[in-house]
Amino acid sequence: MLDQQTNVSEQSPSCEETRSDRCYRPNVDILEKENELYLVADVPGALADKIDVDFADGVLTVHAPVEPASDDGRRYLVREFGKGDYRRSFRVSEQIDPSGITAEFVDGVLTLHLPKAESVKPRKIAVRAS
Amino acid sequence: MNLIPWKNKSVEEAARGVGPMSTLRADMDRLFENFVREPFGAIDWPFGGAAGWSPAVDLAETDAEYTVRAELPGLEPGDLDISVTENRLMLSGEKKEKTERTEKGVYHSESRYGSFCRSIPLPGAIDSSNVNAEFKNGVLTVHLAKSPENTPKRIEVKVAEG
Repeated sequence: MLDQQTNVSEQSPSCEETRSDRCYRPNVDILEKENELYLVADVPGALADKIDVDFADGVLTVHAPVEPASDDGRRYLVREFGKGDYRRSFRVSEQIDPSGITAEFVDGVLTLHLPKAESVKPRKIAVRAS
Repeated sequence: MNLIPWKNKSVEEAARGVGPMSTLRADMDRLFENFVREPFGAIDWPFGGAAGWSPAVDLAETDAEYTVRAELPGLEPGDLDISVTENRLMLSGEKKEKTERTEKGVYHSESRYGSFCRSIPLPGAIDSSNVNAEFKNGVLTVHLAKSPENTPKRIEVKVAEG
């Protein structure tokens, strides 16, 4: 689905998931810097200490639970966003160093840093004058 | 190799949720849904225009207050402007891009940036001096107390004597 060159592409679950609660697919941006790719996901309402970033078999999965709904006695008049956890998976190529993946969460935005593997980093070769 | 006649291909793609036809279809669905949901509100035109964006909003009520919640990931409380009149709540602000986009490349972009403005009509009068807002993890919650005239009153039925 995404450009082949990105080293990160979306991964749909390989088997049917059996989950009773609703899950939402967060919007993401994927950008490249010289030494890393980074992924910015909008996860408004997610709980900072419950966010789970998991890497297994080349698949990076982000799971961000939100606060359980407490709609005590409230009647909804307009409802545009449902409440449910955020979940999305990406296949990461071998050109990313999985051990160096870091994540931060500020104001409802989760940023993942995916450092490039040493072998694919641009390298300057010095030319020696003889 | 799939033997799909060329003329059916886009239909197949749409059914599988890939390809440009499916993107267009999703945009059309969203436009239609927004229109059904809020026929006289601001239409959030899709098709990737630079027309800005509009945050998703919930409006709920209890006997004492209205609660408005808006999804505003990536904003800081300082980027937000909230104002109220007797029966309307106005939210505006700007979502600033924190990351340098020029550096090398953007591979995939789904988030919207820029300024937004949203005016939310309230079904009844509020006490505009009794409004408070909190912002946590990208979700804004505004509590608007109903004006005393607007809160439901219980009327007791007395049994007439005689």
